[in-house]
Amino acid sequence: MSKATKDRAAQAKRIVAEQKAKERRRVVTLWTSVAVVAVLVIAGLVGWGIFAGQEKDNAGSVTTPPTAVDGGTAFARGEGPVTIDIYEDFMCPICHEFEDAAGPTITQLVDAKKVTVNYHPIAILDRYSTTEYSTRSAAAAAAAAQGGKFYEYHETLFANQPEEGSAGLDNAKLIELGKDVGLTDQAFADAITNKTYTGWATKVTDTASGSGVTGTPTVLVAGKKLDNPSAQALTAAVEAAAA
Amino acid sequence: METGQQARRTTVLPWISTVARLGLAAVWLIAGGLKIGDLAASGRAVNAYQIFPYDVAKVIGAAQPFLEIALGLLLLVGLAVRLSAGISAAFLLIFIAGIVSAWSRGLAIDCGCFSSGGELGAGASPVYGWDIARDAGFLVLAGFLLWWPRTRYSMDGVLMGDEQ
Repeated sequence: MSKATKDRAAQAKRIVAEQKAKERRRVVTLWTSVAVVAVLVIAGLVGWGIFAGQEKDNAGSVTTPPTAVDGGTAFARGEGPVTIDIYEDFMCPICHEFEDAAGPTITQLVDAKKVTVNYHPIAILDRYSTTEYSTRSAAAAAAAAQGGKFYEYHETLFANQPEEGSAGLDNAKLIELGKDVGLTDQAFADAITNKTYTGWATKVTDTASGSGVTGTPTVLVAGKKLDNPSAQALTAAVEAAAA
Repeated sequence: METGQQARRTTVLPWISTVARLGLAAVWLIAGGLKIGDLAASGRAVNAYQIFPYDVAKVIGAAQPFLEIALGLLLLVGLAVRLSAGISAAFLLIFIAGIVSAWSRGLAIDCGCFSSGGELGAGASPVYGWDIARDAGFLVLAGFLLWWPRTRYSMDGVLMGDEQ
C-alpha cells in the first residue's frame, strides 16, 4: 500500500468513527432526556399523590367540637352585633403580643355587648417546635372549649407560650394548665391524650388558608382585614362597622 | 490539532462544570428536603404569594419538594445535564418572578425558598433583594452547565463513552 492510500484509509476510518460517536451522542441525549422528563413527571405526581392521601386521611379523622361556630372553625365569645375574627397560633409570639396589647380592649368590647369574637385557633407554625406544638395546642383549646373554658385556656396558653425551636409544652403540661383554669374533668385530659381534635386543627388551618389567611395574627372586623392589628385599629374598625 | 489553550479548556472546563453540577444538585436537594416533611405548609407557602387559588397552590406546594429532590438527584448522577440545567434555570426564573411579584405588591412574606415560608410577622422585614441575588447566583450555575454540560463523573459521560 502506498502512503497516500494508507492516509486515505485512516481518514475514512476516522470519519466513520466520528460519525458513530456522533450517532451515539444523539441516541444517548434523546433517551437520557426522555428519562429526565419521565423522572420529573413521576416525582411531581408522587408528591401530589402523597399529599392527597394525607388530606384524605385527615378528613377521615376530623372530630368537630360541637360548640364550634362559623362552620365549625371557631369559638365565639360575646354576643355583640359586630363580628371580630381572630386567627391565632399559640406558638406565634406576635399573637401573644397582640393578645397582651389588645386583650383588655377586646374584653371591654365584649362586656359592652358591642362585639362577638370568633377565635380560630390555627396551626401554621408546627415547624417551630419539635413536637407539632401548634397543632397540639390548637386541639387542646378545642378540648377546653368543650369544657366551657376556651377563653380562659386561650389566655393561659399565651401566658405559658414555649420558646420557638423548643419541644413546646408536653401533653401532661397542657392538661395541668387546664386544671389551673378549672378544666378538671377526665374528658378534657382524654381529649388531649387521645388527640381527639388534632385532625380538626389541621382542617381549621386548611379552611383558614383557603379563605386567604396567610399569617398570624390575622384579625378581621366585620369581615375586613386589619392591616396592622392593634387595640386602636380594632376599636376604630369596630366603631366604623357599628356606625 | 489542539493548541495549548484549547487543551486547557477541554481539561479544566469539565471540572468547573462538575463543581457547578454538584453545587446545583446540593441546592435542589436541600431546598426540597427542607419542605418535604410538611407538604401542607409547603402549599401554604405557595398560597402566601397570592398568585394561585388555594387549591392550585396546594398541588404546586405538594409537587414542588419532590420535583426539587428529583432534579437534585438527576444532577447528582449527571443524567442529561444540559436539559436538567435548563429545567433548573426555568424553575429559578419562575421563583425569581414570584419573589419580584410579591415584592412589587408589597406582600410581607418569607420566600419559602429553603423553608415552608409563609407570611412574616409584624416587625420582621422581608429580604427579597437577598433572595433574588441568591437565586440569581444559582442561575449562574445553571447557565454555566447549559453552555458547558460536559462534566466528570457523570452518567452522560459514561453513556457517551467519554469516561473510561
